[in-house]
Amino acid sequence: MALDLGMPILVVDDYQTMVRIIRNLLKQLGFEDVDDASDGTGALAKLKTKKYGLVISDWNMEPMTGYELLRHVRADDALRTTPFIMVTAESKTENVIAAKKAGVNNYIVKPFNAQTLKTKIEAVCGA
Amino acid sequence: MILAENTRARNARSQDVQSDNNPFAGSDHVLRQMTAGPRSALNRLLGGQEAPLEAPVPRATKADAASQAMAVNELREIADYITKLKRGIAALRAQELTRDRIPMAHDELGSVVAATASATNRIMESAEAMLAIKAKTLDEYRNQVEAHIGDIFEACTFQDITGQRISKVVEALGQLEKRLSQFSTVVNVRDGEAEHDPEEARRKARAEKLMLNGPQLKGPATPQDAIDALFS
Repeated sequence: MALDLGMPILVVDDYQTMVRIIRNLLKQLGFEDVDDASDGTGALAKLKTKKYGLVISDWNMEPMTGYELLRHVRADDALRTTPFIMVTAESKTENVIAAKKAGVNNYIVKPFNAQTLKTKIEAVCGA
Repeated sequence: MILAENTRARNARSQDVQSDNNPFAGSDHVLRQMTAGPRSALNRLLGGQEAPLEAPVPRATKADAASQAMAVNELREIADYITKLKRGIAALRAQELTRDRIPMAHDELGSVVAATASATNRIMESAEAMLAIKAKTLDEYRNQVEAHIGDIFEACTFQDITGQRISKVVEALGQLEKRLSQFSTVVNVRDGEAEHDPEEARRKARAEKLMLNGPQLKGPATPQDAIDALFS
């Protein structure tokens, strides 16, 4: 299955430079419809007003972390199937396992490169 | 006359009863003698005059003398501890830390964050501009790309300045660590004896509950390959 380059993607990160980097990488991969939020609360509000094909979220944010956002998404009937990739500096195994148990589709450790992001998006959204 | 004699006799009996039954009878004199050394030390410590012993010292028994010596030693130790504590507090130079070094470290780190953000933005602007180049000829394209590469080189000069700023902060932290270490040795207090700051406790509890470990030193704790294996 080819990647749907028209699918809306939500990038969630409290560091605007990182949002900009991911936006540019996604643009290079061909994705044009990219929105962003600075924490889980803002992301949830956007997820309830627009159907996203993928969420790419950081873990460590305030007030709502990416991990809490993931659990909210998986607990919501309307959102539970939304593909979710965690992109974070939290690299302890306990974090990765907790995220997997909570239903994350893939996990990228910062710093990362464009190829890693592309590979994970393809794995999650089906290429 | 008879009344006066009766009163004297009653007072004498009363003193006898006091000295027979009251173990602290005459303790005022003993206490003065026991605290003479530490009082003197404390007076010197506080910059005051030594208080004269007002009353003559009564003869003491051997047991009294031993317990007095022990008490004097204990009080001397307390006086010594207070002297060391005062030296420790002075060596901490807390006012210099809070007035100069910590605000300086705060300002320097703020400048580092601002400089790195500014440099990152300049680099990204150049990269975005390169992606958007619409040149008619290869030479025109090359000239525009080279101009943006020049901007990127310039933006990278932040590293030298931020390196120097961070060195100053590291030096200030080293000083703080050294003084706190000396102070904790002087006062001989363990961490567990201090009361916990509620705000710090709340932050720690949140970090623990939400697994906010932050970036690991020397690269990720779990390599990307190992993570990929978990998701394959």
